[in-house]
Amino acid sequence: MMEHETERKYGIRAGVCALLLLVLWTVVSDVYKKIPCFGGKDVITVGVFSDSYWEVQNGHAYQILEDAIARFEEQCPGVQVTYVSGIMKEDYSEWLSEQIMRGTAPDVVFMPGEHFNDFAEAGALKDLTPFIEKDEEFHPETYYTSAYEYGTYEGIQYALPYECAPKLMFVNKSILTAEGIEMPGDEWTWDDFYRICRQVTKDTDGNGTVDQFGVVGYTWEDAFDSNAVRLFDEKGTECRLTDPKAGEAIAFIERMEGLNSGYSVPDKEFALGNVAFQPMLFSEYRAYKSYPLSIKKYTGFEWDCLRMPAGPAGANVSRLDTLTVAMNASTVHAGQAWELMKFLTGDPAVQSEIFDYSEGVSVQKEIVESEKTRVLFTDNPDTGNLSLTMLSEAVEQAVVVPRFHDYKEAVAEADRAVRAILDSSSNINMETIIQNRNVNNYLKSKQ
Amino acid sequence: MERRQLPNYVLCTMKNLNMLIILYLAGVTAYSLSGYIQECSAMDFLIRAKRIPLAPWKIPVLAVGLYICLLVLLSIRCRNHLHFFIKTAAELGVAFFLSSALNFSYTGIVLLIIADTMGYFSDMKQRLMLLTLICAAYMLLDYDLLSVRYSIISIEVCWEYFQKDARSFLLGIRNVLNSLNTLAFIIYAIVLILVEAYEKERVQGLNERLNTANRELREANQKLEEYARESEKAAETRERNRLAREIHDTLGHSLTGIITGIDACVMLVDIAPEATKEQLKAIANVARQGVKDVRRSVKALRPDALETLDLKRALIQMMEETKCSTGVDILYEIGTKLKSFDKDEEDIIYRIVQESITNAIRHGKAHKIWVRIDRSFQMLEIHIKDDGIGCSNIQKGFGLHHMEERLSMLHGSLSYHGNDGFTVDAQIPIRWGTEGEDD
Repeated sequence: MMEHETERKYGIRAGVCALLLLVLWTVVSDVYKKIPCFGGKDVITVGVFSDSYWEVQNGHAYQILEDAIARFEEQCPGVQVTYVSGIMKEDYSEWLSEQIMRGTAPDVVFMPGEHFNDFAEAGALKDLTPFIEKDEEFHPETYYTSAYEYGTYEGIQYALPYECAPKLMFVNKSILTAEGIEMPGDEWTWDDFYRICRQVTKDTDGNGTVDQFGVVGYTWEDAFDSNAVRLFDEKGTECRLTDPKAGEAIAFIERMEGLNSGYSVPDKEFALGNVAFQPMLFSEYRAYKSYPLSIKKYTGFEWDCLRMPAGPAGANVSRLDTLTVAMNASTVHAGQAWELMKFLTGDPAVQSEIFDYSEGVSVQKEIVESEKTRVLFTDNPDTGNLSLTMLSEAVEQAVVVPRFHDYKEAVAEADRAVRAILDSSSNINMETIIQNRNVNNYLKSKQ
Repeated sequence: MERRQLPNYVLCTMKNLNMLIILYLAGVTAYSLSGYIQECSAMDFLIRAKRIPLAPWKIPVLAVGLYICLLVLLSIRCRNHLHFFIKTAAELGVAFFLSSALNFSYTGIVLLIIADTMGYFSDMKQRLMLLTLICAAYMLLDYDLLSVRYSIISIEVCWEYFQKDARSFLLGIRNVLNSLNTLAFIIYAIVLILVEAYEKERVQGLNERLNTANRELREANQKLEEYARESEKAAETRERNRLAREIHDTLGHSLTGIITGIDACVMLVDIAPEATKEQLKAIANVARQGVKDVRRSVKALRPDALETLDLKRALIQMMEETKCSTGVDILYEIGTKLKSFDKDEEDIIYRIVQESITNAIRHGKAHKIWVRIDRSFQMLEIHIKDDGIGCSNIQKGFGLHHMEERLSMLHGSLSYHGNDGFTVDAQIPIRWGTEGEDD
């Protein structure tokens, strides 16, 4: 009898234990947020910043999002979408980090390219593979390949592209005309680039110092991209500075720098009209080409943009900056969040508004190549006469660099190495081998 | 403080100490995490930690909740091996999650589980096997080992929020608490071993005492047997006395009458042969009556009726039989069930009624006898009255004397008077345990 009673007592204790564990799990995994009395309505929150991703104040901060939300809510009744307004882009990553640490992060977050790696690495973003595999309505091929790949980290898709902007070469047409140089074609090469730069680098006022320059802001990374150099392998375990193509790129940079006889040209010289070329994002073209912003910058000269010059082993390609949309790893509304993400990045109405209210490029091929967009860009005094085929190709063929653990640190290390090779007075090949070994050692230490 | 309780006290101290450590680690970690958030260095922290920590408020909630769970599990005692295995596995599971809530910075909880498990088995082999298993788990829970394979935020990264001096101080406190826990564990182990040795000694002592007691018990048993034999003899004597009483009661009276009658006849026979004849007839009647009495006595000696029937029925049967054999009208009234009396009481009650009726017929020459048996409070009252000649000057014969003697054995009392027939009143106290059942 006593034994029976004791056993019952212990049974109750075990039950209490199990119940307590269940409650703890519910609280810690945020499942309790799904329970109606804790506000369990399907409210999806979106994390977004108030100013444009492309650093241009256009007054349409939330226009696209608000329109999209209105249409989405219409499509999916019962789902409510909200967003927190008033967070500036420069504060956004910090704000988002704080929300993530507090456990109150939005379900869907706009993810700036520069911090995508950090958030993905920290595990703040949800792996989208299961959604992609399950959803038959989702077609990754409608996105630009490069933009789509931008959302991957270590081979896993964590984000969908929302809008993007390729790096293009801005050309000061006035200088070229003044020097009697023909505007280079769309498939121009390093040789053309070097030739023009050498031609325009001169002392125009005859005071003994060079005051007109070929290029500003052209980096070794630009040269590597356009000469098909893949500096790191997929996993970030190996550096390929000793690749002959990398050697060509470094030699080219050395030649280009030689034109200015060691003088480092400040960025502002392009705005002043004293430089023939500067690589810039497409969004800057959109921003400053149109009235009234065009008054503020790049006045007093005619300018246009081209794809980046191709190296001997590469093509006219460059990098892409992409604003992506990702899902909070700890969201309890994963299904609806995925639908919203798909809607924001794939809905034709939302994507075509990017050309109306933002400076980026839609990530949907069909939208960019559509008639509506063609009308917008062709013979438009505001946007100039831009070749949409050029833009579409620039985006499609853009280089996607592999993302891996500590990518930024690896690039900084490589930058130091390239600088050391350029500054070295000894044998360039020897120095390359030494520096390559240094970077490899660094990568090994990070494994 | 009892020595056997000592390990329990140490274990209790360990439990309290663990609670303190868990509160300390969870509190400081939660404080530093919310500090990062408040000071706008959340992004820096995430980049350094490369992992999302739990929300600050969840750390103490989870840690304390899981610890309470663990305490509840520890309080469960299992009898069979399967239950015990499940319980230990559950404890280790909870310890794992608790440890992970504290970024694997504290593994001392497993020591608590080990300490609890050690108290379970006295078998050294089983204990050693289980301890090996748990110790393996203990070592696997270590941050440095786990962080090789899995990405875990080290508690040091969390605590980097504090200035260097403050951090050293906080880490110092952690180490001191950790050492205290280890110390408590070692003390527990030592105390447990000591107490076990003491227990063994105590059990041996108890065994010896048990043996002595057994011996004493055997001796006492022998004495008891002797006493029982003596007691049997005494019962025999008592029975003989009783027999004597019975013979006196029945045969004595008749023989006395016969002797007196014959003596008279001897004197009368020559003077008045006719009267002598009459007298002899009377003597023959007395003799016959005596034989009858002897038979009745023998019958009464073995109250068959009481052996086969309950008291009430036996009484009724006896009175009815007397009624038939003597032609005397006996009116009886029994107002109580007369159940749950002991055998000796039943015997005495039966005999008193029988004796009184015999007396009334024999001495009182009664034609009518009233018998009333009733209960009043804790007394059984027997009232017997007849319409016979009565007796103004009562001489206590063997009969009344024996009735008194028998009643006094039951602490009862007897009163009688001979005016207006003869009346006998007997009162017998009812023993404990029989009360209430008569109503």
